[in-house]
Amino acid sequence: MAELNISKEDFLKFREFFYRKTGIQFDDSKRYFVDRRLIERVEATDSGCFRNYFMMLRFEASGDEIQTLTNLMTVNETYFFREEYQFQCLINSILPELVQHKKDKSPIRIWSMPSSSGEEPYSIAMYLLEYWACINQWDVEIISSDIDTKILNQARRGSYSQRSVGNLPKSLLTKYFTPSGSEYQICEDLRQAVEFTRVNLMNAADVRGYRGFDVIFCRNLLIYFDDLSRRQAADTFYDALHPGGFLCLGHSESMSRISSLYKARKFPDSVVYQKPTEAS
Amino acid sequence: MALVKKTTSEVVDHEERKRKRDCGSLAHQLCDPDPATRRWAARDLADCPEASSVLVKQLRREMDASVREIILTTLTQRGDEEAVAGLIECLRSEDASLRNEALEAMKLLPAEVAPIMGGLLSDPDPDVRIFAVNVLESLRHGKVEEWLKEVIESDPHVNVCATAVDLLGEVGTPFSREALENLKARFPDQPYIRFAADIALKRILAN
Amino acid sequence: MKRILIVDDAATVRMYYRFILEEAGYLVMEAVNGIEAMEKSLQEGSFDLYIVDVNMPKQDGYGFLSDLRGREELLQAPALMVSTESAPHDRTRAYAAGASIYLVKPVKPEELLLNCQLLLGEVRP
Repeated sequence: MAELNISKEDFLKFREFFYRKTGIQFDDSKRYFVDRRLIERVEATDSGCFRNYFMMLRFEASGDEIQTLTNLMTVNETYFFREEYQFQCLINSILPELVQHKKDKSPIRIWSMPSSSGEEPYSIAMYLLEYWACINQWDVEIISSDIDTKILNQARRGSYSQRSVGNLPKSLLTKYFTPSGSEYQICEDLRQAVEFTRVNLMNAADVRGYRGFDVIFCRNLLIYFDDLSRRQAADTFYDALHPGGFLCLGHSESMSRISSLYKARKFPDSVVYQKPTEAS
Repeated sequence: MALVKKTTSEVVDHEERKRKRDCGSLAHQLCDPDPATRRWAARDLADCPEASSVLVKQLRREMDASVREIILTTLTQRGDEEAVAGLIECLRSEDASLRNEALEAMKLLPAEVAPIMGGLLSDPDPDVRIFAVNVLESLRHGKVEEWLKEVIESDPHVNVCATAVDLLGEVGTPFSREALENLKARFPDQPYIRFAADIALKRILAN
Repeated sequence: MKRILIVDDAATVRMYYRFILEEAGYLVMEAVNGIEAMEKSLQEGSFDLYIVDVNMPKQDGYGFLSDLRGREELLQAPALMVSTESAPHDRTRAYAAGASIYLVKPVKPEELLLNCQLLLGEVRP
């Protein structure tokens, strides 16, 4: 078979399409990165050439290929303190603003989804305990959900690889984890700090009871959804939030491909999305 | 410490339905003064038979963006004949936001919209024709390129042609080559048309 | 270097404006709709000029301008609104939303350039 090659024009065409769909922009320096993955998918799908592959990609009813491709084009490892700047934003900007407007002493409620193996909700818990000056003045509930019961059980167990904890400051690793063989076991206090629940975000019955949240973390999930599902998710989160509540997406995700309901807010550490305060 | 864990049953709000959820009541709640009530009604009407017409009716007068969005999502989920007809009607609305929102919803219903594309592409209103070309972007249909080619060969309105050329850059094949060359001659005083046609030609002829 | 944000959902249009404006020495960034335009303004810092299409998915040009004009945290840069629609009420609406100039598509290169220069204070009216 002739060696596959992505021409400059094909790269530009693909780049525009992908940017339109996902908001992810590849500059010219990413040419090799992109070309290699495209070639991989052309071959995997037996498309024969880029043109055929591109037509398939564009018109596929299920949207499976664009999801596979998006997966390939983005980095999707999970580990503690991933995209840490958002946790910094949480304690430096989001929580101070929330408590300023709170009318009572009811708990602050945070929803983290997908939980995956738990690194994100436990990271939030650790961050609050370690770095939020007001943690002793407020009760905080952390709920974390996933569609996959197996991974929820894994999250509840709280046992992690070296790779997963590699980004943590040594002092926190020592404080909150116990080495156990080649893994690290998270301490009981943190395990007790997060409630894990099974939820299918697309199922109206599942999500109906999720209300009254102040902050929702939904990072690196919606980018893998199709257009309609993304909207539905954004609508679900909208009703799950208190007016004035905040939604945090992954660093390469943007509301611009999803919904116009939220207001973009810039804080020193991050841009996040807020449900309007005058809503009901 | 102040991290508080509740059990799942406490986490999830199991309040008794404050409102009835049969289809008749839902249609009623769609007009409730409270936007949150309207939102939930719009959401729950997804499964009610013959709800599309009542949703479209509310869409046309709904002022709250958050409710409009849910109505549109529900109409898209339903995708029945009535929903599609309602969306098409919205393309002619005076309200620019509604027009754009309807267009977006139609783009999520390519199979349902395909049968009426021919008609939309020859609508007397050039703005509707521009939207129709826009819808083609998401259509999986053997005739898409043919339609685009027809537009650039014969549509009198420069902006309808401009929209078509933009899309031909992405889906065009040598089939449209001549039409693109001729387009430049059709609008000789329009540098944008020349620019866009050249881009499309470059893409088409690259391999 | 003056920074211009092009807000239009059509890739070819953005390319066209970029070509013209970069030739003239401006720094150009792009957004496909009002929401992305706002995100970029917040993330990248205020722009000196906005070129804003009207019909875009998720948030149209009017929505974006309304949002922009309501934000104290952003520099209130001038906006050139560009549309396929040419009725007088569209023009009025554009000015009311906060655009300074309204152009009808397709725009000729000189027309685009001159109007940008005008709004950036680089030529006298």
